[in-house]
Amino acid sequence: MSIIKNHSRTAPRFLLALVAVALAASSSTTVMAGDTDVAGFVENATFFRDDIGLSKMRNTVQLEVEKMFDDTGSFSAVFISGTFRGTYDAVYDLNDKDYGKKAGSSILLEQVGLPPGALFPGAPGFPPAMVPHGGGIVLPGGDFDNNLNPNDGLLVLGSLLHPTDGGVAFGVPQRPCNVDSRGCIDGYMDASLNDLRFPEFNDRLDFIRELYLDATLPMKNGGEWGFRFGRQQVVWGRTDLFRVLDVINPVDFSRNNIYDELEDIRIPMGIFTAEWRGGQTKTFDDLNVQFLWKWEKFRPNNLGQGGTPNVILDAGSFFRGMNNCWENGCTVANFAGGGVATDFPPTVIGIRQANLPGKWFSVSDGEYGMKVEGVFKGVGFSLNALRFYQQLPVLRGGIPSDNLFTPEVEAIPHDYLIAFDIDFPRVTLYGGSIDFYVDPIKSVFRVEVAYTQGEEFANTLRPRLFSESDVVRWVIGWDRPTFIPFLNKTRAVLLSAQVFGQHLLDHEIAQGPLGPIGMPDWKNNYLATLLIKVWYMNDRLSPQLLSAYDNGADTLVVAPSVDWLITDNWRLTAGFNLKFGKGAQKFSDCRTCNPFPPYTSTPVHPDPFVPGDVGLGGFEPLGRFRSGPIGMGRQENELQVTIRYRF
Amino acid sequence: MKLLTKNMLAAALLASMGTAMAADPAVVEKSFFPYKDGAPVVEGLTPGVVLTAENVDQFQDAVDPALLQQIKDGWVDITIGETTDFALHPNYISATEAGNATLGATAGEIQNFVAGRPFPQEPDINDPRAGEKLAWNYQYGYNWGDNAAIYPFYWRYRKLETGKIERQIKFNFHFLNWKHRVNQEPVPEFANNPSGLFRSIYVQVLEPFDVKNTQLLIHRYEDDLKRDDAWLYLGFQRRVRRLASGQVTDAFLGSDLMIEDFEGYNGRISDMNWTYKGTRNVILPFYNHNDQALTSEYKDPDGYEFIDFHGKGGCYPNVTWQVRKAYVLESSSVDPNHPISKRVHYVDAQTFTLPRTIIYDRKGDPWKSWTICQANPEHHLAKNKGSGVSIDDCFSMIDVQAKHCTTGQFKGQVDPKLNPTSLFTVQNLRAKGR
Repeated sequence: MSIIKNHSRTAPRFLLALVAVALAASSSTTVMAGDTDVAGFVENATFFRDDIGLSKMRNTVQLEVEKMFDDTGSFSAVFISGTFRGTYDAVYDLNDKDYGKKAGSSILLEQVGLPPGALFPGAPGFPPAMVPHGGGIVLPGGDFDNNLNPNDGLLVLGSLLHPTDGGVAFGVPQRPCNVDSRGCIDGYMDASLNDLRFPEFNDRLDFIRELYLDATLPMKNGGEWGFRFGRQQVVWGRTDLFRVLDVINPVDFSRNNIYDELEDIRIPMGIFTAEWRGGQTKTFDDLNVQFLWKWEKFRPNNLGQGGTPNVILDAGSFFRGMNNCWENGCTVANFAGGGVATDFPPTVIGIRQANLPGKWFSVSDGEYGMKVEGVFKGVGFSLNALRFYQQLPVLRGGIPSDNLFTPEVEAIPHDYLIAFDIDFPRVTLYGGSIDFYVDPIKSVFRVEVAYTQGEEFANTLRPRLFSESDVVRWVIGWDRPTFIPFLNKTRAVLLSAQVFGQHLLDHEIAQGPLGPIGMPDWKNNYLATLLIKVWYMNDRLSPQLLSAYDNGADTLVVAPSVDWLITDNWRLTAGFNLKFGKGAQKFSDCRTCNPFPPYTSTPVHPDPFVPGDVGLGGFEPLGRFRSGPIGMGRQENELQVTIRYRF
Repeated sequence: MKLLTKNMLAAALLASMGTAMAADPAVVEKSFFPYKDGAPVVEGLTPGVVLTAENVDQFQDAVDPALLQQIKDGWVDITIGETTDFALHPNYISATEAGNATLGATAGEIQNFVAGRPFPQEPDINDPRAGEKLAWNYQYGYNWGDNAAIYPFYWRYRKLETGKIERQIKFNFHFLNWKHRVNQEPVPEFANNPSGLFRSIYVQVLEPFDVKNTQLLIHRYEDDLKRDDAWLYLGFQRRVRRLASGQVTDAFLGSDLMIEDFEGYNGRISDMNWTYKGTRNVILPFYNHNDQALTSEYKDPDGYEFIDFHGKGGCYPNVTWQVRKAYVLESSSVDPNHPISKRVHYVDAQTFTLPRTIIYDRKGDPWKSWTICQANPEHHLAKNKGSGVSIDDCFSMIDVQAKHCTTGQFKGQVDPKLNPTSLFTVQNLRAKGR
């Protein structure tokens, strides 16, 4: 394992070499069979967000190239396929006061105040106030340097979604990392203005969406082996929207949260697949076995960076603010005594770094999978196993840090201290899926289930503030084309619904004196989606209503849209993305975790010298795990218009 | 040598049937060669005559009612060609001679069927199950033989009133019979076929971009009472999606066809009530491809030229039609919620293809006029010569209510190399998917 700052540059060179080989091959006239197939599109996606204004003006060019070769030796159907994408999001230039180099401002942080003697015996009273960043009380551990961390270019954490309401908050730097490097986590969330404007043109060469060589090796017994090597998307599972088995490629949520087609937001990875396609056997209508090896160095999901329009769970904002706290210090609202804005010097609380696991072309650190898939008596099925790295980050406490209440620089681990590294633990997944048709109700059902071992979650009951839990996730999908005459007399309406469940088998939660403590994620949570899609004008006009309800978050998203295929080349899509319901939720924020006993103990700690959480909480930071991606986007209602020209 | 091989296959097929009774050779002869003693005669309807709004009334008994109305309305003029023999493959005929199929107790059940035409006897209007027998003859017909491909296949969505082409889709279609094979090894069926598939259809969309990589796979079971399985691969989802049966009676990719319309009727025998309504001599679109007005607009790399379209909206194939013997077969859905109340098929008596079908909506009003052109294989691609397959060569589905049509232009190829069994697996959808 290595920290991101030292990540290898070898592999991008390899990818470039792959491009060169592909281009050379496609220009050759001696070894090719058939023409090179070239297609693509240009697209503009313009989104307007309530209370913000322009939130996206993404201009995309995508080129798809495929070249078939003659049969080579024992191989047949040999081809190279490439997908290349370049994007320019003009929002960072056209709305730079919200998302660009002028984003953010000076901020005031809430201090609900404390009566005299409440903070410690003999302490003065602290009146309610709004305290500027850098204006909190200073404790013996020292203050931070306002010159290095000025009150400018900041946004109060979570303030676009909820009031601080007695909880914690701090400033989150908003500007791109080349403009303001505060809170930028090297190699993980460190996008410059150009990285945000042109997201594919980075050191991982993301403009190469896909580039792979595919070959088939027919066998004498009638079966065949299929091999595919290169950067690609490997899709497992049978359901839409939910990623129960579709977890091979990480996902770029910064593009449009959870609302874009997965094809467009899966982050292609360098993968080798070998697939035995047995076809019909004496028992199975179709039987196949796939092996895969991800040889490209691990990449996590892209959660979006603080100061950008799409920051799923607002995690990127929290991480950026926390990294700023670690590197530069910060003022935290309502911290001391649960009511006084407090200044923290660097290296006390925050996020130190992100540790990305894995290596390029590593056998020992690589990610592997196997899938058996087929059809048995008309029922499609798969059995899946995958050894991979968790694509969502986990914050592991227990890193060496300083005591806020002593002038010395200790740099030792403190239990229950909110000082973290970001890690991505190794996970093992076992799963399966089936699909089948039930004739009496004219319905297709799709079922996926996955059981994982090794995932880690926030947990204020544990000294390092995380713990491992086995997880079961499942989704049941239902499709039924149904004639609804008042919508269309001659074309069926597609009704498609899904229910998703997630169960943390090692969930820990308890009731502390001041509130619930433990794991903020729901032990059992359920989401439901419903799609109603209608077609008119020979399928060239298609209105649809997509909705999703998160039971734990108690939040509903409704996305009505109309898709109009103007010609074979032009397509216009317009719609809304509207959220309703509860939105932000509260959970213990670990202010009362007593990491520096006895200084941080409270009257409800049974032993002031023993650290541990007693449950004082607020919206930030752990409430986001209860709100989920829909709830945390509660205030991100949008009008979305996309026009595409295909060629 | 080739003939010898075919005869050996036929002999092997016969032997495989053990002691079963054979069909009457005279009956088989009459079924497969209805024009042996001469073509049907309709007075005045001779080769070269053009049916127009002005003269069609005098030939109304030889024109199906939907087409008759369209000619009367001036939507299209039809040129009559010479009635020609479309002899099916000798192995199929031999298999018919060796056959002794009978109907089961309920619709959708057939017994003792191995290969060939199950019921070569002339239908009897007094036989309450005559329609069902005709339907079986179509279902187990030599339509595309043991396997074939339409490679490529161009569909156009057109406005009937203006002729505006709204959309053009380029496909490849592939067909494979798992059972009842007569010509290509293995005969009569594949060994590994655990679920008892009868036939598979695989469809791949090549253009345009928004539906590129869409693929469709249909498995029809030998047990007609078992529901077809169908899967769709959607390129933008990169996922195989099982289709509900409702989707086979829905507009396919927005066209005027439903999956159930493919080849004239693409469903189970047991899904319909079949009624034989009589035998007529009517005009049907049978011809020699190479003698027609062709178009080279698709720039086929082999120089192949496709059937051209003309008439109102460009919705009609520009081909000659023949006077042919046809069985009028009516099918109405068992399912009361089916979007179609009935179809009236004009079954070509020699080939048991469905070149003309009139489709009625749920209210019983005429809805669609369905034409599938049939080309003689001896006047088509070189590889199709000797195939004994009546080549589906073009189609026109006219929605007379919506004033819209979908036309299809085929490059039909009877070529087993284009249709390996691996193409007809669910996994192939994923492997081919991009």
